[in-house]
Amino acid sequence: MADTLVHEVAEPAAPVEKPRRAPRVRKTPVTYLMRFIVTAYLFFLVAWPVSLVVTHTFADGFDSIRSLLDDADMVVALQLSAYVAVWSVIINTLFGVGISLLLVRYEFPGKRILNSLLDIPLSVSPVVVGLALVLVYGGRNGWFGPTLAGWGFQIIFSTPGIVMATTFVALPLMIREIVPVLEEIGIEQEQAAESLGASGLQRFWRITLPSIKWGIVYGVVLTLARSLGEFGAVKVVSGNVLGQTRTATLAVEEKYLNFDPQGAYATAFLLAMVSVACIVVVAIIRPKNHP
Amino acid sequence: MSIEVTGLNKKFGDFVALDDVNVTIPTGQLTALLGPSGGGKSTLLRIIAGLEKGDTGTVNIEGVNATNLPAQKRNVGFVFQHYAVFKHMTVAKNVAFGLEIRKRPKDEIAHRVDELLKLVHLSQFAHRLPSQLSGGQRQRMALARALAVEPSVLLLDEPFGALDAKVRKELRDWLRRLHDDVHVTTVFVTHDQEEAMEVADEIVVINEGRVEQVGTPDQLYDEPANDFVMSFLGEVTHLGGVSLRPHDIDLETQPLLAGAVEGSVSRMVRIGFEVRLHVLTVDGDEVSVIITRTHARSLGLEEGSTVYLTPAAGATVIPRMAAVG
Repeated sequence: MADTLVHEVAEPAAPVEKPRRAPRVRKTPVTYLMRFIVTAYLFFLVAWPVSLVVTHTFADGFDSIRSLLDDADMVVALQLSAYVAVWSVIINTLFGVGISLLLVRYEFPGKRILNSLLDIPLSVSPVVVGLALVLVYGGRNGWFGPTLAGWGFQIIFSTPGIVMATTFVALPLMIREIVPVLEEIGIEQEQAAESLGASGLQRFWRITLPSIKWGIVYGVVLTLARSLGEFGAVKVVSGNVLGQTRTATLAVEEKYLNFDPQGAYATAFLLAMVSVACIVVVAIIRPKNHP
Repeated sequence: MSIEVTGLNKKFGDFVALDDVNVTIPTGQLTALLGPSGGGKSTLLRIIAGLEKGDTGTVNIEGVNATNLPAQKRNVGFVFQHYAVFKHMTVAKNVAFGLEIRKRPKDEIAHRVDELLKLVHLSQFAHRLPSQLSGGQRQRMALARALAVEPSVLLLDEPFGALDAKVRKELRDWLRRLHDDVHVTTVFVTHDQEEAMEVADEIVVINEGRVEQVGTPDQLYDEPANDFVMSFLGEVTHLGGVSLRPHDIDLETQPLLAGAVEGSVSRMVRIGFEVRLHVLTVDGDEVSVIITRTHARSLGLEEGSTVYLTPAAGATVIPRMAAVG
């Protein structure tokens, strides 16, 4: 394969993508009015309430946080929340990628039904989710629970039940992030890899996964935030046993109802910080040209 | 013979994409699959590559029965109309992909990638991402990527279809020269008869899922098997019982030759050196005729003139078929 016969193809040099400047928008009174409405709306709905949690948490300096971390039951609650959230993220990531591939790349009967089933966790109240799980896995009266209890597995009023409930409510988040990305990249890159000799597994690791990487990262952040914050479904299935199955969100409610607003604020603050930190980290590390 | 396709059928639902296709593609040549859109030529190419599966029939590549081989085991290079570049890899990584899959030693890969990038004139872009390349450059990169694995056949699916006319013409010439250099058996799909005639050693004309004719560009033009092939490769008109090219008609103002068809000029359009005439014959046919400006002037033609038409000596003439017009 010599380099003799071919001569240079005359073609304009590669366009180096220039940062495009946003077109100037004429500013009219309406522009300012709309900006004001949006700002006020976000301030009263989001910024102000959240900032009050922060200011109340630190009303006495770091005392409330310190006393929170000195409480052994609270530490267990925070650990349990973290444990549940991590499992929910792992399970939802694995199944999310699998189900997304199934939905985008394959045709099968019942695909539309599956697609709408996946939205149920978002549209149904988490309390209903919790009750449904109790009906199936409840240790005494559940449809499947007594059998499992016979084998020594306790689901409801135990950590597996909390993980299940949390995974259930956070299920669609990963899929809804990945599906559009998969649809956009199409299958030609994978077919090209196939014709170059790549096996199914090699295509997945080398082509598909890098292409949907940012979809997965956003999915993980959303799933983590949602899992940490889950309250309703967990409340039903956990049994709320102090120091065992009480998660951080349940502790917030309990502290608030038990006239310990300071503790409730501090716990809420910690929960919120983790989610905010995730979003900030992703915003920093993501490539500039990525939406 | 490099690729042998026998008795291939393919349906998408009710739509017959390929209808008992038998084609043999010779080794080391540049073959074009030519036909109108939706005629099945891309489907045939994808079945040869293993990206699609035929309903019945067999595909042999270099003597190996590849009918049931997955694409990854066929050792074919495939180039897509929309490039199918690996967006997250640099140009060099794209080209190296097939070699890395084959677990070649690192220095061998680096050397080969270097050589290929030189071949497609992208050496200076080795560390860029595909998004920083123009369409033509991306397609050259895709070609280098396909060539990297030393495929037994190279398949190109409308490789220049997404490019603008100027780049398309340049790449077409470049592909021909590249092929003269590399000599890998190459099959490319196109719906542009000019592209096929200019580049290919051999053309397979495919229409409505059937092979209409196989031959060199000259054979197809001079001895078209039927009306469809003739009309797809150039303008066709009908005179008496035959189809022929409008510039292959002799036109006189006097009935000099026996069998000349009488008619009157209904429309005259002059384009540069040529004059296009519409002649309404006494049989009720409308015949188009192309003559030179000089000839038209010497005959003193104008709209309404009476003329006598005969097929020119040596013209490509085939019997007219009722179905195709």
